[in-house]
Amino acid sequence: VPGAPSQALGSVIVSGQDPDLFDNIRKIESGSGPARFRLMMSDGLHTMSAFMLSTQLNPMAEQNLVAPNCVCLIKKNVTNVLKDGRRVVIILDMEVLRPAEEVPGKIGDPTPYVEGQTKVAPAPPSAPSRTLQPQNGHSSDKGPSRDFAKKAPSTPGGSSKVVPIASLNPYQSKWTVRARVTNKSGIRTWSNSRGDGKLFSMEIVDESGEIRVTGFNQEVDKFFSLIEPGKVYYISKGTLKIANKQYTSLKNDYEMTLNGESTIIPCEDTQDVPMVQCNFVSISDLETRDKDAIVDVIGVCRSVEDITRITTKSSREVSKRTLSLMDMSGKVITVTLWGEEAEKFDGTGQPIMAIKGARLSDFGGRSLSALFSSTVMINPDIPEAYKLRGWYDKEGHALDGQSMTELKSGGGGGVNTNWKTLMDVKMEHLGHGDKADYFSCVATIVYLKKENSLYQACPSQDCNKKVVDQHNGMFRCEKCDKEFPNFKYRLILSANIADFGDNQWVTCFQESAETILGQNAAYLGQLKDSNEAAFEEVFQQANFKTYIFRNRVKLETYNDESRIKATVMDVKPVDHKEYSKRLIMNIRKLSAQ
Amino acid sequence: MANVYESPKARVNSSMLPQYAGRPVCLVGRVEKVHPTGKSFFVSDGEGKPATVELNEPLEEELSGVIEVVGTVTNKGTVIATTYHILREDKGTSFDLELYNEALKIVHDFSQYYPFEVSMSA
Repeated sequence: VPGAPSQALGSVIVSGQDPDLFDNIRKIESGSGPARFRLMMSDGLHTMSAFMLSTQLNPMAEQNLVAPNCVCLIKKNVTNVLKDGRRVVIILDMEVLRPAEEVPGKIGDPTPYVEGQTKVAPAPPSAPSRTLQPQNGHSSDKGPSRDFAKKAPSTPGGSSKVVPIASLNPYQSKWTVRARVTNKSGIRTWSNSRGDGKLFSMEIVDESGEIRVTGFNQEVDKFFSLIEPGKVYYISKGTLKIANKQYTSLKNDYEMTLNGESTIIPCEDTQDVPMVQCNFVSISDLETRDKDAIVDVIGVCRSVEDITRITTKSSREVSKRTLSLMDMSGKVITVTLWGEEAEKFDGTGQPIMAIKGARLSDFGGRSLSALFSSTVMINPDIPEAYKLRGWYDKEGHALDGQSMTELKSGGGGGVNTNWKTLMDVKMEHLGHGDKADYFSCVATIVYLKKENSLYQACPSQDCNKKVVDQHNGMFRCEKCDKEFPNFKYRLILSANIADFGDNQWVTCFQESAETILGQNAAYLGQLKDSNEAAFEEVFQQANFKTYIFRNRVKLETYNDESRIKATVMDVKPVDHKEYSKRLIMNIRKLSAQ
Repeated sequence: MANVYESPKARVNSSMLPQYAGRPVCLVGRVEKVHPTGKSFFVSDGEGKPATVELNEPLEEELSGVIEVVGTVTNKGTVIATTYHILREDKGTSFDLELYNEALKIVHDFSQYYPFEVSMSA
């Protein structure tokens, strides 16, 4: 339940929960702009007139649903503290339980609530020259206009005019912005030698630009649940300082921190405020961007994998999910979501997905990862999304799409079409550039090295480091810095593969090695230790089989010597239909030249 | 009848049959209709064109699906079958007749690279 911090008004708790209050007496129309209704509420014991109806509820007053003496339930409210310490409660959602006609009259004999120096009837905010009708029974109220001079559309509780985000700077403190929240992070907590803390951050955008806003500790309590991404708010009195570009990619020299005086109030008049500021990069262009760049992308989510759970280096468990995104360039890229985003993502129906602030990685060539600070939007209400939807439904869905990411799975030849013969690899000097090269080929295994094909690895789940035999029944893993009474066998298989034109030495790791040998590493380890002949037989059987290999080649230099290292990323049986079609196509192409 | 079992048999489709009159061929097509007498049946090749296959003895089994026929081409352009076998499609992979036809055309268009005509006895 959203809301302001609990605020005790004598016996009335005005909190996010549902207090019953009686609307007693007067509605006061004030000022220019949309009408603002001020209510005096009573709970039978005390009255307080520091209640303002938020403009979205105006119809309730205008249609007399809320009339003096009706009983209502305030479901949602926010409390703003004015500069002079007075409080105003803005009613965001209210339900009339008993209309005025059914209420016999004043309930109880309430007296005005006095809280500290807060006199009843704090002034309504906004526009100059407001005249307030005097309250019933409370004379101290007058409409002060000094705090609220010269201002734009009603900014309840605010005390300055609306300025563009782009004009915010540390040297001015009296401002209000009207902006949409495009991205709200979760609450992050930390604990260090100086103590504990929590923060949340968000990005807001208006017609002039965008800026990052962070709230710490108390501001988290005050504002976190109030803020809904996608909605527009009036925000005032944040602290501006130079932006720490490490945490954000927004175009603004400054960033804002909420403080004890900051106010955030929902705004209903949202038509001019843009939904989101995104600078989308086409997937095919991502190749030209630098690794670790922060980019915005939008595309159709063609497929999504299941969630997996990973343990990070700091031993935290986190959820992970990959999906493939395609845009109108016809290219596809793998996107990784983490944590809550991964868990709540629903890829059914091939939705349009936009990410603002994703990180570009060179994993597998090029891939994208959603950061803590990224905004993931599904089927966003922006023109690019509609364009994509139309394109995809018409033609995009039929495209195979060439992936920028080297995926392990995928249909034969469908996703990645970089087919080479082994001769090509040498002739074209693949792998000699800065980055590794990836290619697919059809080749036959002509030799498998069984010596040193197995090694003893750390038995911990995510660690594959070779362990050192302590010769006392224990095995030590340097990476985990632990000793274990056991180990797990893992494969590193050295093989020579060949096609009609050339051969190539390659290294196969666990999965591809197991596919080629047709047995898992643990079983093979057992065989090796117990039945040498059977172990050899496995290698014999595996020889001279033909597969589609997806390989990675890179020139590596060791002590002045450079050599091409080829690693098998994936091994698949030959898809003869696809292969035939491709060969026929190539032959026809060649003959036409 | 030429020694069908001893000489290389060119793979052909229906359109090529006239050029192979009197010669042994291998024809792959989909069974369309079996003659009531069981002594002949009709197939369609990868291009959808028809061919007639005649048998010396009536059929003793049901014929359906894709069939490979080895035999000799008559002057009428039909094939007198020496042997046939049905390409089973129930083991998962279906036979792509159109793709087969494309491959067949490659072999004929670039026959210099596919010297199958070399006699087996030579």
